[in-house]
Amino acid sequence: MSMQDANAVRMSLILRLIGLVLSAGIATATVVLGVQQGMALQLVILTGLATLAVAAWVWRFLALQFIPRENLSLNEDVPLAEELRSGWKNHRYAIIGLGILATLFAILSVTVNGFFNIYTIISAAILLAILVLTFKFSRYMAQYRSSFIGLMVLAGLFSVGSMTVEGFASGGNVKSMLVFAAFLGLACVGQTLVALLGGLDLSVPFVIGSANVGLAYLLSLGVPSYLAFAIILIAGGLVGLLNGVLSFKLQGQALIVTLGVGFAIAGITQIATILGSQYAGSLFGAVPEWLSNMAAMNGTTLGMKFPAVILIWIIVSIIVILALRYSVYGRYLYALGVNRTSASRVDISERRYWYGVHVISGAFAAFTGALLLGWSGGGFIGIGDPYLFMTIAAVVVGGTSLLGGVGGYGFTVIGVLVLQVLTSFLVGIGLSFEWQQFIFGLLILPMVALYARSPHIRTQI
Amino acid sequence: MTDLAFEAADAEQKRPGDTSGIGLLIPISLLFALLMLAALRSPFLISASGFGSAMIVVAPLILATYALMATVIAGRGTVDLAIGPLIGFINVSLIQLTSLGMSQSPFVVFAFCLLAGVAYQVIMSLIIIFVRVQPIIVSLSGYLALTGINIVILPRPGGMAPQFMASWGFGTSIFSPILLIVVLATAGWLLFKRTAFYTHLRLMGSDERAAYTSGIPITKVRIGAHVISGIFAGLAAICFTALISSGDPTQGTNYTLSAVTALVLGGASLAGGRASVMGSLLGAVNIYLISYSLSTFNFGTLQSYVTQLSYGAILVASLLLTLALPHIQRRIHNFSPPLFFVALSVLGLGVALHAVFDYGDLPEAATAADAMLFAPLAFGEAASATGGLLTYWLAVAFIAITIPVLLRMLVSGAGRSNLHVAVYVILAAMILLLTFALSNAGSGVLSFMEVN
Repeated sequence: MSMQDANAVRMSLILRLIGLVLSAGIATATVVLGVQQGMALQLVILTGLATLAVAAWVWRFLALQFIPRENLSLNEDVPLAEELRSGWKNHRYAIIGLGILATLFAILSVTVNGFFNIYTIISAAILLAILVLTFKFSRYMAQYRSSFIGLMVLAGLFSVGSMTVEGFASGGNVKSMLVFAAFLGLACVGQTLVALLGGLDLSVPFVIGSANVGLAYLLSLGVPSYLAFAIILIAGGLVGLLNGVLSFKLQGQALIVTLGVGFAIAGITQIATILGSQYAGSLFGAVPEWLSNMAAMNGTTLGMKFPAVILIWIIVSIIVILALRYSVYGRYLYALGVNRTSASRVDISERRYWYGVHVISGAFAAFTGALLLGWSGGGFIGIGDPYLFMTIAAVVVGGTSLLGGVGGYGFTVIGVLVLQVLTSFLVGIGLSFEWQQFIFGLLILPMVALYARSPHIRTQI
Repeated sequence: MTDLAFEAADAEQKRPGDTSGIGLLIPISLLFALLMLAALRSPFLISASGFGSAMIVVAPLILATYALMATVIAGRGTVDLAIGPLIGFINVSLIQLTSLGMSQSPFVVFAFCLLAGVAYQVIMSLIIIFVRVQPIIVSLSGYLALTGINIVILPRPGGMAPQFMASWGFGTSIFSPILLIVVLATAGWLLFKRTAFYTHLRLMGSDERAAYTSGIPITKVRIGAHVISGIFAGLAAICFTALISSGDPTQGTNYTLSAVTALVLGGASLAGGRASVMGSLLGAVNIYLISYSLSTFNFGTLQSYVTQLSYGAILVASLLLTLALPHIQRRIHNFSPPLFFVALSVLGLGVALHAVFDYGDLPEAATAADAMLFAPLAFGEAASATGGLLTYWLAVAFIAITIPVLLRMLVSGAGRSNLHVAVYVILAAMILLLTFALSNAGSGVLSFMEVN
């Protein structure tokens, strides 16, 4: 059952009414909450409208998944033992999983002091409900399964976070989460496109660091800030082109080629920028007003109190998602990712697209690095380091296959948000950085395993 | 016998489609280029303690590269990014367990390290096989988890390595237990290459579907590859612990990048199915020589960035050279890596001797036989500028004659399974010369260091 067929079906009146009432209720709740927190009026109205639209759309989307399905035929009378046995056979994994979770919860309650309180029980219940819902519904979704699971995980994390961490759902924390998500999301644009072709661009963190230091250097030389920004973007694109040209013939080892290029670029940038200065590795200088306003936490956009980088990320996301979905370039990209040979038969130039995605990747990495300068105020080469694994993790957790041809930027946006909320949650419950990293590493596997499992070898013959 | 029969015999001896030889062309050339540069820049390398300390430093990298190689051959793009953190993990947990009172006998320590490596790798292989997540994601998650837990286990560098390792890290002599580990590991790998299991592994790496349909138990083979990788990771961790003789939660992480680079430099395909033990060995040594040569130049504050830059540039360049291999192969039909190695060794030895030889002492120090051997080199009066120049040109002439002769032998002897007698003679002579140079240079460098 594909999307297009579902759109043709009209919903019954009662379903539409329920949806309308439901979304209106959610929107009202949002507005009431916003007014209570004393936010600006125009922001409250905007949020209310957006919530209304989103809730209505989600209701429609979910409801349409079920309409055309015929009711499953009812079982005939079977003996109780038989019924139990078949029930166990059908649901054994779910039952075993629930048992393990319950045991874990019991052990934690007994061992950790102060663990057993009303908030933990409620958040555990929420998590459980989301898990059950996810498994129940995800089988009905073929195309958007990963994004559905991602959204559910996001909702679960967010509700558990606001339940257990003081001030998790406050405006300030949400804003800071969105700013960091915007940096990560912008860095992931190129990574997603490259992954759609079946490559990986490991030069992203080095380009981010180099752009960061390079922009600070150009500004300290007295280059006009807009010009310097443009130069950095173009330089990033050129590095991307270099990546593309060098790795085109070596696509199996593109990972290593881009890593090598990244290393070289980071080295060159630092040699060029600190030649003759004794402060190796970081540069300080005056960051222009508009840049820090754009990226710093206390920046404003059109009079509203959030930095422009969030808005930029939203606009970029919409453009990329639409372009991938509806433009010829986007469709050709998928065609190439799925099957090179057949794509070349219909005259799609593999070389041009390979170069193209790498140029975009380099330019967006440089863009992120330049924005991070506005955020931090000083150039530092190591600022990109966390992005090496975070970009890949966001792409993978979102549901884009690293083998190419499956996924999209919309998935990556969800992946970015999930990772960001998770980080914020782990920080909130007071874990140190190394524990965060440990749990992060352990959680990536099950998240990916939920939907990105490859088929068994015997089905590939 | 007719020419035709000769050709048939040649074809029989040279397995068709065997391209492993030509793949070693680049690592060997790079090795000697770097070796000569290093010897000229810092003659300390060509001495007993220089070799010894180089061996200690390079051993963990060699073993980490072997560990990586086992899983890379298994295919599906299994580049185990977690190899560095795994070495760090075994290191810090060994140090902490020792301080908690675990037995320090070598047997227990070795058993612990190998078991820890194998256990981790087996878990990874089970996830790859049964959860069916892409290996690169599994290794990514392992990287993050292990990097985090290492700092939890040992927050900052410190602790003491087990007693028996204390003397391993000095690196004052060539023949140390570390060398023994590396030699045994290499020999073990070469023996492993002769098993049917290895053939299965290569087949699975190059085409998993074909392997499955031809009845190879791919699950077992994949687990086996990871077990072998775990063993080498454990050995690498032991050498790493001996090198730093303490625990360090972050240092081990660097081995991931170096080992991947070494593997690629050695001509392995990250896509699977193709990797050679000699290539990996040479690749790891090359990585060490690159950083060693760079450390002899003084870039001041730029040092680490220049290293970073050249690392990246060499990595990309060596990958691009693998693209040129088919073209080179079309030109050179017969190529014998051992002979090429020997030919370049002569050149390298000449340079090394030139670097460490104390020309001023020659008339007194040399015995009659040595004087005869080095007669062309010592022809001019050592102290005068013209004499030095003459020596130099004579050495160049000697090399210029030797190299073409060897190259000729290299091409003509490539197809044969056993080498020319001349090669053995030259090899023996070289080993003798090297021993001589080492015994001389060791004392020379030591006295030089005392003066400073």
